[in-house]
Amino acid sequence: MSSDDILLTVEDLSVVYEPDGADPTFAVENVSFELRRGEFVGLVGESGSGKSTLGFALTRLSKPPARISHGTILFDGTDIASIDAEHLREQRQGGFAMVLQSGMNALNPVRTIRNHFFDVFTAHGHVSRERREERARELIGKVELPAATLDRFPGELSGGMRQRVSIALALSLEPQLMVFDEPTTALDVLVQHAVMNTIRDLQASEGFTAVLISHDLGIVLEATERVLVMHEGVIVEDGPSSEILNAPTADYTRMLLSHYADPRAEVVSLPGFEDRAIRRQAGASRSAVASPEHAPTVVTRSISTAQESIVVEHVSKTYPPPRRGEQPVRAVRDVSFTLEPGQSLALVGQSGSGKSTIAKMITGVEKPSEGSIRFGGLDVAKLRRGQLRDLHRNVQMVFQDPYAALNPLHTVEYTLTRPVVNFTGLKGRDARQRVLELLETVGLAPVEQFAAKLPHELSGGQRQRVVIARALACDPQVIIADEPVSMLDVSLRAGVLALLEDLREKWGVSLLYITHDLLSARLITGNIMVLHDGAVVERGETAEVLQRPTDDYTVALLEAVPNPQRTRR
Amino acid sequence: MTTTPITAGTPAPPPDTSVAAAASPLQVLARVAATVWSNTKARIGVVILLLFVLAAIFAPLLAPYDPSSTEFARSQDASAGHWLGTTAAGEDVLSQLIQGARISVFVGFVAGLLSTLVAVLIGLSWGYVRGWVGDVINFVVNLFLVVPGLPLMIVIAAYLQNGGIGMIILVVVITGWAWGARVLRSQTQSLRGRDFVTAAVFSGERPARIVFREILPNMTSLIVGNFFGAATSAILAEAGLEFLGLGDPSTVSWGTMLFWAQNSNALLTGQWALLFAPGLCIALLATSLTLINFGVDGLSNPRLRERRKVRK
Repeated sequence: MSSDDILLTVEDLSVVYEPDGADPTFAVENVSFELRRGEFVGLVGESGSGKSTLGFALTRLSKPPARISHGTILFDGTDIASIDAEHLREQRQGGFAMVLQSGMNALNPVRTIRNHFFDVFTAHGHVSRERREERARELIGKVELPAATLDRFPGELSGGMRQRVSIALALSLEPQLMVFDEPTTALDVLVQHAVMNTIRDLQASEGFTAVLISHDLGIVLEATERVLVMHEGVIVEDGPSSEILNAPTADYTRMLLSHYADPRAEVVSLPGFEDRAIRRQAGASRSAVASPEHAPTVVTRSISTAQESIVVEHVSKTYPPPRRGEQPVRAVRDVSFTLEPGQSLALVGQSGSGKSTIAKMITGVEKPSEGSIRFGGLDVAKLRRGQLRDLHRNVQMVFQDPYAALNPLHTVEYTLTRPVVNFTGLKGRDARQRVLELLETVGLAPVEQFAAKLPHELSGGQRQRVVIARALACDPQVIIADEPVSMLDVSLRAGVLALLEDLREKWGVSLLYITHDLLSARLITGNIMVLHDGAVVERGETAEVLQRPTDDYTVALLEAVPNPQRTRR
Repeated sequence: MTTTPITAGTPAPPPDTSVAAAASPLQVLARVAATVWSNTKARIGVVILLLFVLAAIFAPLLAPYDPSSTEFARSQDASAGHWLGTTAAGEDVLSQLIQGARISVFVGFVAGLLSTLVAVLIGLSWGYVRGWVGDVINFVVNLFLVVPGLPLMIVIAAYLQNGGIGMIILVVVITGWAWGARVLRSQTQSLRGRDFVTAAVFSGERPARIVFREILPNMTSLIVGNFFGAATSAILAEAGLEFLGLGDPSTVSWGTMLFWAQNSNALLTGQWALLFAPGLCIALLATSLTLINFGVDGLSNPRLRERRKVRK
């Protein structure tokens, strides 16, 4: 390889965070690598691994308290780690550009898309006045959007379209290096898939060098030819994608890879899930198994198992039109199902498919426009505010975002004590005793220490365990889990899923599991319902439906699951 | 199933003996104080405020003479005997100034506290309820917001004729709660949509408890900020009303000092201290409260608190 081939050389780069008053932390430590022209490289790591910090450093977007403390970044022969702001601005044209995760929200809401393009052209003066319109059309076409999009305002476009616009804006500077920082993470599964395809096609046709930063090894392996794996600020593995996939050398890479599986496979196993998957394949009944590991937990239950089922009959939900003159929004259309006691049912679909609306209706947060929902003797749709307590005694919820679901100012103990006091009638020391048992049940030991902690002292996975403990506090019969692992790192997901599965088996709780992630649905549920535009398009046993899907929509969802194995077929 | 976190079979923790009490309210208060103190601006504000409060408490000991005695020569300039001179009625200005701190600090705190209390009660419930009740509250609050403050104050004060300090506090509270209620209401509305509030509903909490235990603590900085803001405007309003002669002119306060100074044409007689001293005190007291508000900002964010801990 000749030296002309090298576009970017990073040597011994360290980035340090120096927050006001606190001890400095090295987010990136002594990183060295080279990028060849036209290469598509993935940068993978979990949250806190320093991958975004490195991406920001490459494009010199690092802001205080972050600071490049050491090393050089040679871009096309110039050291960009030390050039001044004006040179840097000039470099952005024909140099390097970055597409951010939240880039789609960075568009100015009161200016049309056309104006966004013209602003960039004016700032850099690289497109003549007469050619502007032509160039804008050309760029918007490259990201597979119609030219009419130029007349729209950002608020009129969907998230996927806005992200495409921000990619087109980055492209307008004809960069040699594009850094994509989690470009699809905030998008819906199916959209994510389509945007990734666009990025891949663009990279091939335009020939720019690209760095794709992502937490999802599956996405990166599908798209890129070379992968850098980052862990705690250090690049632990650097090699061609196929090698990383087939012969990973670092333990960390191996661990990450072990968390991927094809939901369509005969046997699906993840770390901590092997026995379950095989057991279900063998057709063993979940309650029949009484192995020594299934000894009762330390928490004694006042109600032995779920006895009541949730019956949903012909439920529809129509929201009033968002603006005058528009059609009313039909979020859920004529959905019927029964959640039997002790059953686990997955509700899958992309965002907007109505799955969360169904959860809200079952928990009494929203009322159905038509149809009825019954839980035992309670008619959920007709409950008044005061009566909701009776419902929540038995139907509890695990929230999607563990960072938002805990009051930041209450200790874990307070959070868990409240449902115990409200629903079980225990007081004082008895209640506290129960709280400590709950913490032990969800695996947060030493319990005394965890009880005293505030949410910000816990990791995402630990927070989600607290949320699960709170849902269990009143011995519910039904738990509704709304995307409980989508905000967590891949390596933490299996643990939380295993916990949910265990609790369901041992406590005999019914589980309604709402997700877009088919792999997790396959792992912890027995039955599945696929929702599309508010209507059920397919239902049946989870393993059966995912292995032999009949509906096109189910197939599309399955296709969108990032799977490193599939690309190498 | 080795990875399962369930510790089946392990004995339950020893009961009762190990069960410690949760953090007491006193500890929480100490933590709050430490947070505010760690901000430099707030520290300056606290020191100034403390000086005024001490002056107010120990006024009888600090004041060189009886503030209402008229035994001295009239309209004297500053001298060794009377550091800030005497008034047109022959009272010692310094003694009056120290005595006046009592009224200003008292009115500031009581009126600030009361109007914040009203704002919190109305603002939080207003933000949490839905339906027609909210519309009714909305109408009342808007009514208080559109009526200009000072004229309303003057009208009420004139109507309640010479009611003294109690009257002034009442007037300040009536005219001062609405803006705070509106600010707190919008914050409540944005917080009530958060997952942890929904989670509290799932925990079986009653609405009042959700509002005051889940939502309210997350707005501490806003409420404390509102208190200092209300106290500042209460001090200014009190001085303003008394300057206009709507208070009880026989009490000794910074407002009445300005009122009498104006009446006796203190500027024409060159007695700058008579006007300047109470005015400066009012400005300083108001500034100290505003400075404290800078430190209050760090209160509601636990992460900021953590950073400060590291610094020590």
